[in-house]
Amino acid sequence: MLTVPVEIFRFKPGQAQRYDTFTVEIAETAHVIDVIDTVWAKHDPTLTFRRACHHSSCGSCAVRINGAEKLPCIVRLTDVWNGRNPIRIEPLRNFPVVSDLLVEVGDFFERMSAASMTITCEAEGFLPLTVDTFAVAGVLPKTVELPDNLSRFNRFEQCIECGICMSACPTMATDNKFIGPAGLAAIYQARHKTDDPTRVKHLLGLADGEHGVWRCHSAFECTEACPQAVDPASKIMALRRELALRRLRKMFGLRI
Amino acid sequence: MSTLNYSKTRQAARWFDVRRRKAGMWAYALNRITGIGLVVYLYLHLGVLSMLIQGQSAWDAFVGLARSPFYLALDVILLAGILIHGLNGLRLAVTGFGFSAGAQKALFTILMISGGIILIAAALKIFQI
Ligand code: SF4
Ligand code: FES
Repeated sequence: MLTVPVEIFRFKPGQAQRYDTFTVEIAETAHVIDVIDTVWAKHDPTLTFRRACHHSSCGSCAVRINGAEKLPCIVRLTDVWNGRNPIRIEPLRNFPVVSDLLVEVGDFFERMSAASMTITCEAEGFLPLTVDTFAVAGVLPKTVELPDNLSRFNRFEQCIECGICMSACPTMATDNKFIGPAGLAAIYQARHKTDDPTRVKHLLGLADGEHGVWRCHSAFECTEACPQAVDPASKIMALRRELALRRLRKMFGLRI
Repeated sequence: MSTLNYSKTRQAARWFDVRRRKAGMWAYALNRITGIGLVVYLYLHLGVLSMLIQGQSAWDAFVGLARSPFYLALDVILLAGILIHGLNGLRLAVTGFGFSAGAQKALFTILMISGGIILIAAALKIFQI
């Protein structure tokens, strides 16, 4: 067992913000989410935070650990604790803080939805029907009919909508209408799944807007911080290339 | 629902917060610092040039001052700002249009080392004046 000091950001509506320090007895194999859970269970039940899956799938637990955005459910305690100083846990930046570690993500999700990011991973349409058919050489996985409502529950590959990139982005700090790294990466993904001119126009129009790709000032922190290797920065740059090339072609009267 | 929101100034200060950040963020902050520095320099430069209106003696007196080690050191700082801002600008122009975005860190390192070499050579030359 380890005895770990932990310093947690606290805020409740109507009260001043502060940091509370707790000393937690916890197993060496614990993850940071276990530390937060223990503080809540054994020290202060008023601590507010979010978590669900415990394995980097839901994206709900994102916080800043010692100043860097992380998913505490996959960060081992011993990787962030130097054995002396308290581990500092704070809410994500660039989101309004609702209470303690809990931030308001409604706006972020709405932004993703506004970009019509209800995209189902292609692989989900080609599930093997049974393990047997999958195992027999030469038998291709069969296409299955997707339930009508499935796309409502799937956004796009890899991104778990944790908001970490939005917190790490310095541009986001001064333009809260900026679509942001996750949204722009999603637009890129959606754009590459369609040739439908109306949809392409809609998606590129979003990317080209006042709060789109040109707002990015290339800090590349989104890509550094993203726990899912979505690499939003490269997607933003690729969208810019497409927009710039389209503009150039238009300028010279070529077909877009 | 009353939430905690920070002031615009505090948010803007995050442009310069490089704690726990990587090379891209250092480049971002450096570009802003040097950019502000170069704008300030431009106005100082225009102010200095306006001394020409006061005739040759005022200008000669300034040139004498500008050759002091303190002013020469300021020249080196100015050149450092120009090199950081200009070379980083090249990196941004390349990566900003989707070329070698994945190599942005390597580009930053290479360009800053090149800038450092140019700066040392130029500083030696400046102090020989
Ligand atoms: S792009 Fe990465 S960091 Fe951003 S919300 Fe998606 S998973 Fe999280
Ligand atoms: S609890 Fe789901 S990502 Fe951490």
